[in-house]
Amino acid sequence: MHCARRIGTAAVAAFALGFTGLALAQWTPTKPVEFIVHTGPGGGSDLLARAVANMMEKEKLVPVRMQVMNKPGGNSAAAAAALAEKKDDPYTIGFITSVWIAGPLTSSEATITVHDLRPIAQLLLEPAVFAVRADSPYKTLKDFIEAAKARPGQLKQSGGSVTSRDNIIRQTLQHATGAKWAFVSFQGGGERLAALLGGHVDIMVIEPQEAGEQVRAGKLRVLAQLAERRLPGYPDAPTLKEAGFDVTPTPQIRAVVAPPAMPADAAAYWEERFAKLRETPSWKKYVQDNQFEDAFLPAAELKKSIAEIEKQLREQFVQAGVKVVR
Amino acid sequence: MIHSWRNGDFWSGLALAALGTYIVTAARRWTYMGEDGPGAGFFPLWYGGAMVVLSLLLVAGAVLKRRASVAPAVRWGDLGRALACWAAFVACIALMRVVGFAIAFALLAWFIVAVMARRPQRVALPIAIGGAVAFYALFELALDVALPRGMFF
Amino acid sequence: MDILSGLLQGFQVALTPANLVMCVLGVVLGTVIGVLPGLGPSATIAMLLPLTFRLEPTGAMIMLAGIYYGAKYGGSTTSILLNVPGESSSVVTCIDGYQMARKGRAGAALGMAAIASFIAGTFGVLMLMLVAPPLAELSLAFSSPEYFALMVLGLALVVLLAGASLTKALLSMLVGLWIASMGTDLFTATSRFTFGRVELIGGIEFIIVAIGVFAVGEVLGNIEPKKPADVLPVPKGLRNLLPTRDDMKRCRFAFLNGSLIGFLIGILPGAGSTIASFMSYGIEKGLSRHPEEFGHGAIEGVAAPEGANNAETGGALVPLLTLGIPGSGTTAILLAALVLWGFKPGPLFIHDSPAMFWGLVASMYIGNVLLLVLNLPLVAVFAQLLKVPGYAMYPLILGVSLVGVYAVGSSLFHLGLLALFGLLGYAMRKLDYPAAPLVLGLVLGDPMEKALRQSLMMSQGDLAILFRPIPSVLLALAALLLLIPLFKKLNAVRVQMVDKEA
Repeated sequence: MHCARRIGTAAVAAFALGFTGLALAQWTPTKPVEFIVHTGPGGGSDLLARAVANMMEKEKLVPVRMQVMNKPGGNSAAAAAALAEKKDDPYTIGFITSVWIAGPLTSSEATITVHDLRPIAQLLLEPAVFAVRADSPYKTLKDFIEAAKARPGQLKQSGGSVTSRDNIIRQTLQHATGAKWAFVSFQGGGERLAALLGGHVDIMVIEPQEAGEQVRAGKLRVLAQLAERRLPGYPDAPTLKEAGFDVTPTPQIRAVVAPPAMPADAAAYWEERFAKLRETPSWKKYVQDNQFEDAFLPAAELKKSIAEIEKQLREQFVQAGVKVVR
Repeated sequence: MIHSWRNGDFWSGLALAALGTYIVTAARRWTYMGEDGPGAGFFPLWYGGAMVVLSLLLVAGAVLKRRASVAPAVRWGDLGRALACWAAFVACIALMRVVGFAIAFALLAWFIVAVMARRPQRVALPIAIGGAVAFYALFELALDVALPRGMFF
Repeated sequence: MDILSGLLQGFQVALTPANLVMCVLGVVLGTVIGVLPGLGPSATIAMLLPLTFRLEPTGAMIMLAGIYYGAKYGGSTTSILLNVPGESSSVVTCIDGYQMARKGRAGAALGMAAIASFIAGTFGVLMLMLVAPPLAELSLAFSSPEYFALMVLGLALVVLLAGASLTKALLSMLVGLWIASMGTDLFTATSRFTFGRVELIGGIEFIIVAIGVFAVGEVLGNIEPKKPADVLPVPKGLRNLLPTRDDMKRCRFAFLNGSLIGFLIGILPGAGSTIASFMSYGIEKGLSRHPEEFGHGAIEGVAAPEGANNAETGGALVPLLTLGIPGSGTTAILLAALVLWGFKPGPLFIHDSPAMFWGLVASMYIGNVLLLVLNLPLVAVFAQLLKVPGYAMYPLILGVSLVGVYAVGSSLFHLGLLALFGLLGYAMRKLDYPAAPLVLGLVLGDPMEKALRQSLMMSQGDLAILFRPIPSVLLALAALLLLIPLFKKLNAVRVQMVDKEA
């Protein structure tokens, strides 16, 4: 009888320990972690990834070294493929932007898309503003649209590729207002700005960060901002809605994804870490300095958001006359 | 006419004419002139077309040269050596996926020194192994520049 | 703040022990990076950024800038000794530099590269200091039609780069144009010539083609003779290790040419140092009294492009520091660094942060001197590399090529492309197709097409936009260049007729 009871107690004790053990068994990284980005060094995602690594280290959120791996090429195809190759590696995550969603829509060569990857969290939204030269006759976005209506196709906007946010918002506005103006694509941000400052185009969509100094120096005037709420840096510029245009710009997201088969506990770890990062003062300062919109979404919401954005983009591309392949 | 068979210009001209034709056919599938300006097919059509014209000119020139082939006769032995070296290079790259940079490079280096240059093993082996180690140490270890990884390293 | 007092303040800042150390660190690191293919200034600067947070911003910027222009000094080393371009902009140096090495004049080539870099680099800083703000405004007047005309002029230079057969040179250039157009079209998002491969969506990186055609092609060509063409002759004695007085005299125009062209092209956002070095090489050859020497070891063919790619750094800093517009990848990172440290690069930068601006300018003078002092003795060190026998050199060159290309995107596919272009390079050598026009077409093809389409978009299809004042002049020059062979032929016929009569 004693034996049985002893065994019984031992068994219960073991069971209890086991359970507590399970509850405590949380995955933490023990080897260096890699952040994959789709730009070369100095590109937007690269800088963000490096900043995040820096902040996480400073705030002691991650106990291991984090390094950035640049995989430029094919818009985001190379980076997506690299991430997919990692299969179930919990030590690799990728930083994505809306380009990862838009790119595969027009490239039939891309074999891996963002849907093949496991969403972790959305970190930020990138706002933008409409800017014209300070000596231009347009004081509000409405002025510009009216002028464009009066002279269809004569006014010009400088921007990036035909699938970029710059063009998409132009398509949306053209559709909504019936105005028509030309779009001139430039490879680099510097060239687009130079084209505007030099008077070769009339308007452009530009990141608030880039525009800041030009505005302060009196070279540019901001007509409206593509954001939900007014940015602290531009208290005087109306949002699109406030300016009377009932259009929602397709969000430019910055989010984190993981290889397709990353184990659940690792994924949960990363999601939680990024949620924690958001509460730190370094992050808040970073967001403010760079004039981003802090917009956190956990994994499940991110997945939905990606699907929505893709749907929106597909419609807008078709409207813009761009060939959509999937 | 027979002479043109030996003439490099003749064959390269034909190859380039073929390339040019391919470019033009591909370009025609894209828009030549869109509503905003030249489309994706504009440039390729022009340079592809120029390629066809110029390469045919080259072929014509090669065919019409009365004298026996202007270029010296092809030294097949030399060509063979170069192609062997190239094949080794390609093999080295293919092997990297399996054995990694260091071993693949060592093999390539050994091949060049021992087989192509016919140097004795006591020269070939140190160069091959030393070279591989030096590259690995300098780039992978010291500078943290990623080298192709095989199954082991 | 007037220039002299600004400069004085700058030297005060730059000559503090801490900042001097930063300068030395930067230029040494830059030289190392330039020499080693596989490492580029932009990657290194990006990697060092987090470390710079713990440093004082002016010092950090001095170091990063040192890496930027220091790398241009080192880039010529592998170009001359191994025919492997260390940086994209060093491709042109391969053409004559390597030929000089084969003739035993590697020391002179290396030395001249350093000297030309010094002269042009200093010129660039001088210009940055003197005329930056007004020039920056002027550069804004340069837009797509002007760029297009400039690129056309550049392509017309192919006439000058042609050897015996203009047809083959043109064909080579056309192949370059074709490779340049591979990838996704910016304007319509159409995929061109990607053969269904995901790796080709973004096109083929320039350096892969350059290293393949030049370096690998050269190795394949040299390995042919059964008796391996040995050792490149090693220059003996100090006199042979450096450029002679005669060399310096010959290069007087090259110094001017490189400095001016490099700086002017540097100011234009989007036009890079590779374009600058090609242009300056072409102009040098075109205006030379002995153009036939180019391509076979003319020392001006080293001085001009090397000068140009150094002056270009000064030029590229003009839009960055006076307008806040980055013209290239590396300047974009420098911009990001400035922003990170809390500076505001833009039209008010010089006014708001004179200490940073002038400190940087002063440190660049110091840096250029340091680099000259550093690189000249290194010539002797590097020249020893030539003692390595041919059969050991070839694996070295191939190994360096592999590392250099793999560093681009860590992709075995790129290595496969390298092998392909190596074969192409070899075929071109055997069949007498010049390689320089291919590279020229590759570099200029994409920007030229973009500039043309942008221009026509701006003008709604009206070709007249291409005949504004500046483009007209440039296009006229291009037309003239293209007519040179016609003149030559006519001249030859005329001479023949005169001979017949005599």
